[in-house]
Amino acid sequence: MSGEQYLDSGWIGTAFTLLVVFFILFNIYRANKGAKNLFIRRIAGLNAIDDAIGRATEMGRPVLMVPGIGALDAISVQAINIFAQVTKTAATFATPVRICCANAPVFAVAQEVIRDVYQQAGQTDKFGAETVQFVSDQQFAFAAGVSGIIHREKVAATFLLGAFFAESLIFAETSNAVGAIQVAGSTQSTQTPFFIAACDYVLIGDEFYAASAYLTRQPVLVGSLVGQDWAKMTVAGLVLVGTLMGSIERGQAATMVRVDGENGCVWEQATPAEGQTGPVKKATKDTFMHQIFNPCIPKAWTEVEREDKPVEGAAAEGEGE
Amino acid sequence: MNFWEKAQKVDRRVLYAILIFFVCGGLFFPATIPVDPDPSSKSFYSEIKKLNPEKVVLIQSDWTNSTRGESMGHFENLMRLLMSQNIKFVFYSAADPVAPQVARTVITRINKEREGQGLRVYKAGVDYLDLGYFPNAEATNTNMGNNLREAWKGRKARVDGREVDIFATPVLGNVKKIEDAGMMIVVTASASIDVAIQRLAKRVPIMGLVTGVVGPGVLPFYQSGQLKGVAIGLKGVYDVEYMMANGINVKPGGEGKAKVEWDGNNGAEVPPVTEGKTLARGQQYYGTLHVALVLLILAVVMGNVSMFMARRRQGEEA
Amino acid sequence: MNLTQWLPLAQTTENFWRKMPGSTDLYIWLGVGLLLGFGILFLLSMVPSHLRRWVVVTFTFLAGLPYVLAYLWPKPIAMDVATQLPNPGEQVGFLINAAIDPVGKLTNILQGFLLGVGIFSLLRVHSMKIKRKAENYGFSMVLIVCFITMATVGFGDWTTRTFQDPQGLLNDPVNWGFFNRANDLLFEGIYQQMDAAMFSMIAFFILSAAFRAFRIRSVEATVMMASALILMLNLMGALTFVWGNAIDGLAAQTGNTFLLNFKLTEMANWLRSNMQIPAIRAIDFGVGLGALAMGLRLWLGLERGGVSA
Repeated sequence: MSGEQYLDSGWIGTAFTLLVVFFILFNIYRANKGAKNLFIRRIAGLNAIDDAIGRATEMGRPVLMVPGIGALDAISVQAINIFAQVTKTAATFATPVRICCANAPVFAVAQEVIRDVYQQAGQTDKFGAETVQFVSDQQFAFAAGVSGIIHREKVAATFLLGAFFAESLIFAETSNAVGAIQVAGSTQSTQTPFFIAACDYVLIGDEFYAASAYLTRQPVLVGSLVGQDWAKMTVAGLVLVGTLMGSIERGQAATMVRVDGENGCVWEQATPAEGQTGPVKKATKDTFMHQIFNPCIPKAWTEVEREDKPVEGAAAEGEGE
Repeated sequence: MNFWEKAQKVDRRVLYAILIFFVCGGLFFPATIPVDPDPSSKSFYSEIKKLNPEKVVLIQSDWTNSTRGESMGHFENLMRLLMSQNIKFVFYSAADPVAPQVARTVITRINKEREGQGLRVYKAGVDYLDLGYFPNAEATNTNMGNNLREAWKGRKARVDGREVDIFATPVLGNVKKIEDAGMMIVVTASASIDVAIQRLAKRVPIMGLVTGVVGPGVLPFYQSGQLKGVAIGLKGVYDVEYMMANGINVKPGGEGKAKVEWDGNNGAEVPPVTEGKTLARGQQYYGTLHVALVLLILAVVMGNVSMFMARRRQGEEA
Repeated sequence: MNLTQWLPLAQTTENFWRKMPGSTDLYIWLGVGLLLGFGILFLLSMVPSHLRRWVVVTFTFLAGLPYVLAYLWPKPIAMDVATQLPNPGEQVGFLINAAIDPVGKLTNILQGFLLGVGIFSLLRVHSMKIKRKAENYGFSMVLIVCFITMATVGFGDWTTRTFQDPQGLLNDPVNWGFFNRANDLLFEGIYQQMDAAMFSMIAFFILSAAFRAFRIRSVEATVMMASALILMLNLMGALTFVWGNAIDGLAAQTGNTFLLNFKLTEMANWLRSNMQIPAIRAIDFGVGLGALAMGLRLWLGLERGGVSA
């Protein structure tokens, strides 16, 4: 049960989180200051947004958007942010929009955001009760409801972005049956293969989080994205260093080995096991990487000064005297 | 239009009719098919058999009827395993308000099955506890880790017609913190197992019984040791049943080849389950899984062959 | 070494966030809370529109603060709660953790109210369709009738079980009344079965997607298909058994143990351990970092446009 406290190896997780936070905030600061070299690579699924809306406009059919079936969290908020951008484009062409929600708080937020988008586009009359709908908070009742909307309204494009589970393929195949262009992306890695098999464009993993930066090019979002990339490079570097160090060290001969005891650990001369000859190879516990995550902690370090809890009744007795 | 071009444009309803016919047919012919269980299933079975009967097992049952094809088999196996080892357990759901009811139905059925076999029936409030539903999986698991007694405060059990605080029952009487539990097992069809691992894996050993779709997503946790074992999908159900019937590394009469071999756990022998039913729902459905997979592979092959033939014809015409 | 027996049993006792049930303090704070609530509502309605963003940002920051502090604050070292009192540093930790509970409860209460907003939307959309006699309005009528019936029956079942059955007799179907039977028929007999039927329909969609979309159009698609084929074949115990025995026999005959790597189970496990799991882990790292960045921007009010417009 190690790794929870700073004294143990808990500091590694906290330190890494703070490092990532620093990367993100520093790059947001850089972007706000007008840094020019913040590049975002092309994301095919997002380039298809204009095509999809153009097609819907030509056909006079709606664009359907689903922000997943998860609760109101970073994923659904990001999905709503992307949908706000899609709606902005759709509103300029007066293309009808349908956003179907499976979670009431997500619905409430989506309704406010999309209403604002229509207001800013001067198209308030186009925002109706059907634009943002709450369908059901039960997974398959929601799947059935949305499939019904796809079939009845013959939607021209579907945007399935957010936390999807088993209903992902139902939406994708139903949309395919009515000939809709599909842009999809799930933060659930288990659903991504279904989308790849059945949809036209798929955002994989964190491309989903890159979408709003890609679409709006707002400095805050672009800077944050660059910060994430720095963090990813750090992770990749650490994985590489850890693997190399582990592999190299396991092949080396150990001269001293660590023996854990109550008062921390002591280093003893490495001796070959009974019946073995030649140099002693390092075990996992003798590697540097293992020791970082399993530091030596003398028992004395774990003793903290605390006051004793007053014994119930003792105070009353004392008062009596 | 030749055969292959027609095949490319086949009405999907034809495919659906073929699927219904073959899948339903398979259900009528349950067979004991030899299988080499997945390593993660072997870990699961081996860990269950190592459980200390003095320690309670916490079951987070987050599945509903929609995934009963896989999850019900998992839950039934778990019940049979725990009951055969006289292990007390607590079950609750942190994902769906409907989930506790489907779990209750299974427990009632397994109890009836045991009664029919002359085995001891598990009694609510004495051998197991039903805690119902807790909204908000994140908060529930966090609170359980911080202070189990506080997180489950106020929940009652009905014992012999009267309500009793759950911590005054033999099931949870000795449990003061989550570390006092022997194991936590999450039966789920969703990402609720990820939350449990993130919040509790440092405090209590966790294992999973998950659907085929969720499976690949939890394997990284199994590989890293944060999950002690996991049985995945319908194959996982049959894997566990097969090990319940045959054990691991158990050689017949001390000689010959064991039906299930495993070099994990230092090649130790893990005994089979000696009471009650072992091969059950997994055995009934496993043949059908074969049929469905064959159909799926045929569909992929047919789709590709028809694509190549159509392309070749277009090339010839050009 | 068990360093993490951290038991914030202090939560069970009274603190700033929690007053004991029935105590005078609780009622005083309830009154103060109500007054404060009305006061805040009144003040919020007076806030000029250009300051509203800051109100939202401040509330978001305050709601997220306990979670962030609880993550950062060091966890206490094993303490005997029966005989020891937490030191000042640990007391701060307990206070922060205790603050998470009310924030979580507040979120649940808000969600309860928002469900009402969702239901209102659902009924509004469908009643408008019925009123306008829009195309397929019959489906809307079915929805509203089902909604009202299910809610009435569910409420009837709940009230009889909660208030009229202290002995728990209704656990036995023999003692059921009208509402209990109707609820069982509608919920267990119809809704649950339809739910399972909807899930099982995925099998049809998988089959048609396999036929339509799983095509070898590129090298990547070929690699993906070969991997999928191995994993699918590995799920078929009968085949892995026959294949495995054949490989065993061949290896014994030729004395070449390398052949054992070509067992279906070995190939599938290799693919899982060395391809699938690292790929999922890499995607999860990216998604986790994205969620952290998004959460940070929302918490600090750095988002502009969209949700924070």
